[in-house]
Amino acid sequence: MRIEKCYFCSKSVYPGHGSAFVRNDAKVFRFCTSKCHKNFKMKRNPRKVRWTKAFRKAAGKEMTVDSTIDFEKRRNVPVRYDRELVQTTVKAMKRIAEIKKRREHAFWKHRMAAAREKMKAHRTKKSEIKSRPSVKLVQPMTVESETVMVREKIKVPASSKSRSALIPGEGQSMGMDVD
Amino acid sequence: MGRLRRSRTHGGNRDVHRAGRTRSRTKDLDQIQLVDLNPKVRAKLEAQPLDFEKPGLAQHYCVECAKYFETDHALKSHWKGKVHKRRCKQLREPAYTIEESERAAGLGREGKRPTSTTVPAPMPMSIET
Repeated sequence: MRIEKCYFCSKSVYPGHGSAFVRNDAKVFRFCTSKCHKNFKMKRNPRKVRWTKAFRKAAGKEMTVDSTIDFEKRRNVPVRYDRELVQTTVKAMKRIAEIKKRREHAFWKHRMAAAREKMKAHRTKKSEIKSRPSVKLVQPMTVESETVMVREKIKVPASSKSRSALIPGEGQSMGMDVD
Repeated sequence: MGRLRRSRTHGGNRDVHRAGRTRSRTKDLDQIQLVDLNPKVRAKLEAQPLDFEKPGLAQHYCVECAKYFETDHALKSHWKGKVHKRRCKQLREPAYTIEESERAAGLGREGKRPTSTTVPAPMPMSIET
């Protein structure tokens, strides 16, 4: 029994899960899910797809240089069963996982601190741009000798209003007279 | 029971499915970069014997794009084109391989150099395996 790694996302592929593709040069590509298989068929580069391990490693989002990474290996020489050895190995695995977790957390904190500073700088820059007025106001030109025209109001008698042709007059209906 | 499949599920993706078949697989970038671009292999690919099954009798082959052309003129104009230049650019960066996927997962290979150079550990470690 061997736990393989997905070609695309580098997740673990447990026995009975996922699928494999064997290329005509006898290279075996293993996939954890159909999602990864589809992405492979689309000939995408995992290094450029943001959700893969390969991307995260290549972009410096995860530890790449660490002594805890070197313990997990593909070992092709079988080891004779030894109770003592298994016990110590299991113990070591737990300890390594613990150390790895702590180091990963420290790495993440360091990365986030840098990112926060970057974000802050970006925000201040943005707010500066925002606070700057987008429109420049110019003083209106003043003309000294200006005569103010005042229009006199003209009274219009209310009765002189012309009747609208659309409003039917008294006694005159538009309809036909019906006997 | 009647018809269970919804209608209008085709979506005009027939050609997409056909292109994804194993039968129509083209060479991967790592195959080209690690094998075909070797000067020896390249010379062999460029001077193939007459093959009546291949386009242009396999006489006009672009190694980078892994593609046969009908005429020499077509091949030469392909070299000038955008598709070929884009492909050359892709081939310039190192190809993604199975080994890299395993390395990204933190799985090393025995007998090879460790995946990382040991740095002075910030935390004390006392493990014997």
